[in-house]
Amino acid sequence: MNIKKDTIVAIFLLLFCGIMINSSFDIEDPGYQGMKASFWPTIVLCLLSIMCLVMLIKSVVTEAENNINSNDTNLTNVFFKFKNALICFLMFVIFLAFLDYLGMLIGGVLFVFGLLTMLGGFELKKIIKHFIISIITIGIMWSIFTFGLKVILPEGEILRIW
Amino acid sequence: MIDVILQAFASIVLDPVTLGLMFIGTLAGILAGAIPGFTIAMGVILTLPFTFGMTAVQGLATMLGVFVGGFSGGLMSCMLTGIPGTPSSVATTFDGFPLVRSGRPGLALGLGLWSSFFGGMISAVILVALAPQLAFLGLEFGPWDYFSLIIFALTITVSLSGGNITKGLIAGLLGLFAATVGEDEINGVARFTFGFDEFKQGFAFLPVLIGLFAFSQLLTDVEDDKRAKSPLMSQSGAIVKVEHRQAILIILKRWVNLFRSSFIGIFTGILPAAGGSISNILAYDQAKKASPNRSNFGKGEYDGVIAPEAANNATAGGALIMMMALGIPGDIVTAVMLGALMIHNIIPGPTFIQDEPLLAYGVFIAFFVAHFFMVGLQAFSLRIFLLVTKIPMYVLASVILAYCAIGVFALHNVVFDIWVMFFFGVIGYFMKKLGFPLAPMILGVVLGKLAELNLARATGISDDILLFISRPWSLFFLLMAIISVIFPFYQDARKDSLFSKLYVPISMIILSLPLFLMGSPVRMIVATILVLTGGYFLYKRISSLNPN
Repeated sequence: MNIKKDTIVAIFLLLFCGIMINSSFDIEDPGYQGMKASFWPTIVLCLLSIMCLVMLIKSVVTEAENNINSNDTNLTNVFFKFKNALICFLMFVIFLAFLDYLGMLIGGVLFVFGLLTMLGGFELKKIIKHFIISIITIGIMWSIFTFGLKVILPEGEILRIW
Repeated sequence: MIDVILQAFASIVLDPVTLGLMFIGTLAGILAGAIPGFTIAMGVILTLPFTFGMTAVQGLATMLGVFVGGFSGGLMSCMLTGIPGTPSSVATTFDGFPLVRSGRPGLALGLGLWSSFFGGMISAVILVALAPQLAFLGLEFGPWDYFSLIIFALTITVSLSGGNITKGLIAGLLGLFAATVGEDEINGVARFTFGFDEFKQGFAFLPVLIGLFAFSQLLTDVEDDKRAKSPLMSQSGAIVKVEHRQAILIILKRWVNLFRSSFIGIFTGILPAAGGSISNILAYDQAKKASPNRSNFGKGEYDGVIAPEAANNATAGGALIMMMALGIPGDIVTAVMLGALMIHNIIPGPTFIQDEPLLAYGVFIAFFVAHFFMVGLQAFSLRIFLLVTKIPMYVLASVILAYCAIGVFALHNVVFDIWVMFFFGVIGYFMKKLGFPLAPMILGVVLGKLAELNLARATGISDDILLFISRPWSLFFLLMAIISVIFPFYQDARKDSLFSKLYVPISMIILSLPLFLMGSPVRMIVATILVLTGGYFLYKRISSLNPN
C-alpha cells in the first residue's frame, strides 16, 4: 500500500475545514456596524484550507519519504507502539467520567494508582509502592489547593453522602 | 521614577513571602531544567496553577525563578552525565562534559554557573534599558500596525520552529481558529458552539496551553515502555564542589566572549520563538570561529562552556523585552506569563510599563534577584537532582498528569476546563507525532483574539484596507512577515545558488523602504545604512556571479 501519512492528514484537515466553513454560515449577524462575527474565522479557515491543499499536493507530488508501511497499518503493531499513550488517554477519560461521583481526592488517588500500576507493572511490591505514592502525592496536592490556595475541588457524591 | 523602583524593590526583596516563593521557584526550575524530557516551559506551565492565589508580582516572580533556574539546571545534567537536560544546554555538553571527564568537574560547573549568572545580568541591564524605550515606540502603533506585528510574530515562529513550513503555518492557523470558538468579543455572537453551552465561553487559554504542551509531552515521555520504567538517568554523577573563584577569574579574562555570547542570546530572545535552544548553539559557533584555540573546542575548552551558558540565560532577558514592551510573547514561557497577567486582569501591551509601573519594575527586579538565587541554590539543588534522577519517568508522568487536572480545575472551578486540556493534549500528541510544530499553534491561540480585535478596530476606523500597507510600521511588519516565511527556503537553498546570495541584501533594501517613510532622522539614518549595506552586498554578490 502506497499511502502517505501527510496525504491522509491533509484530507482529514480539508474535511475539517469544510465542516467549519459550512458551520461559519450559521454564525448570526446582529446587524451592527463594523466587522461581522464570521469575517475573521472565515479568513482563517480559507487560509487553512489553502495550506492544507498545498500540503496535500506536496504529499502527492514529492518522493515518498513517510509512506505508511505495512507495520503502521497492522493494528497490533499500532497498539503496541502507542500502548502507554492509549492507557493514559483511557485512564484520564475514566477519571473525568467518574469525577462527579468520586471527587478529586478519591478520583485522583485511584487515577494515579491505576495509571502507575498499568504503566509500571502488577507485581505485589510495586502495587504497594504505587498505592503509597498515589496517596501521598494526591494527598499533598489536594491539601495545598484546598487549604493553601482555598480552591474548592470537586468533593464527589461519595464523600458528600458520607 | 525612583519611588516606583524603590517600591518595586521592596515588593520583591523586602517581602519574605515573595522571596520564599522565588526560592522554591528557582529550585523547581533548576530541577525541571536538569531532568531530560522535562523542559523549562513545562516547569513554568506547571507552576502556573499555584500562582492563581498569589498577587501578580508574586506570581510573575515565582515564574521568573523557574525560568532563570531552568536555564542553569540544564548545565548540571549535561556536565555530569553528558545528557543535556534541556535543548538550551546542548552546546554546553560539547566542552562541559570533556572538561568534567578531564578531572575538573568543579571548574566546569563553576564556569557554567557563573557564565549563566553574568549572561543573565547583562541581559537584565539591557532589559531595563531597552523595554521602556521599545514600549515608547509601541505607543506609535495603531490597530493596523499591531495586527501586522501579530502576523509577523506568527510567521517568524513558524519559520524558526523548524521542520516543514506548510505544517508550521497550518499549526499557527489551527491555533488562530481555536481562539475563535465561543462568543466573539466584539458582537457577543456565538461561533462554532454546535449547541453546547460550555463552548460559549470559548476555550480558556491555559487549559489549551497545558494540554498542548505539558499533557502531550508527558504522553511522549512514557511512550517507550522500557525507558518509562527505568530511572531518569542511568548515571547521575556525584556531588561536586564548585570552584567559584577560579571560574569567575577565567570568565572575566574572557569578557569579549561573555559579552558577544550574551548579546547573541538577547537578540535571539527578542525574536519570537527563537529561544535558548538556538542561542546556545549560535553563541558556541561564534566563540569557536573567534577563538585562537579553535582546535581545542570539543576537548574541554573554557570558551566552549562560557559561550552557550551566557547565551542561554541572556535569552530569557531578550524574551522578556518583547513581552514587557509590546505584549508579544517571545517564546512559550513568556506566553504563559502573558496568560498569568491576564488572570490578574492585566493586559500587557505598549502601555503596560506606564500603566503598571510597579509590576513592570517588579518583574525587572525579580529577574535580577532570580540570578542570585540560581547561584546560591546550585549546590543544594545538585543533591536533590541526584535523588530525583533515581525516579522512573512513569511515576513522575502519572503524578504530574493528575496535578495538571487539579491545576486546570483551579483556574475557573469548572470540570469542562479539564476536558479541554485533555482534548488539546490528545491533539498536541498526535500533531507532534505527525511532524507539526506546537509553538506556532500555541502562539496562534494566545494572539488570535488580539489579532481579531485589532483587525476589527482597524476596519472600524476606516474601510481603507490599503492602510495596512501605507502605514510605515504596518508595512515594515508585513515585509518582515514575508521575509520570515521565505527564510526556511533560504536555509535550505544551496550556498552558491542565486537565491541564497541575493536573499539577505534584497531583504535589507526592501526593509529600508518603510523606515524611510517614517520620516524621523534616526530611522532615516538606519534606512540609509540598510540600503548602502544591502546595495554593497548585492553588488559584490552579483559581481562574483559574473567575474567577466
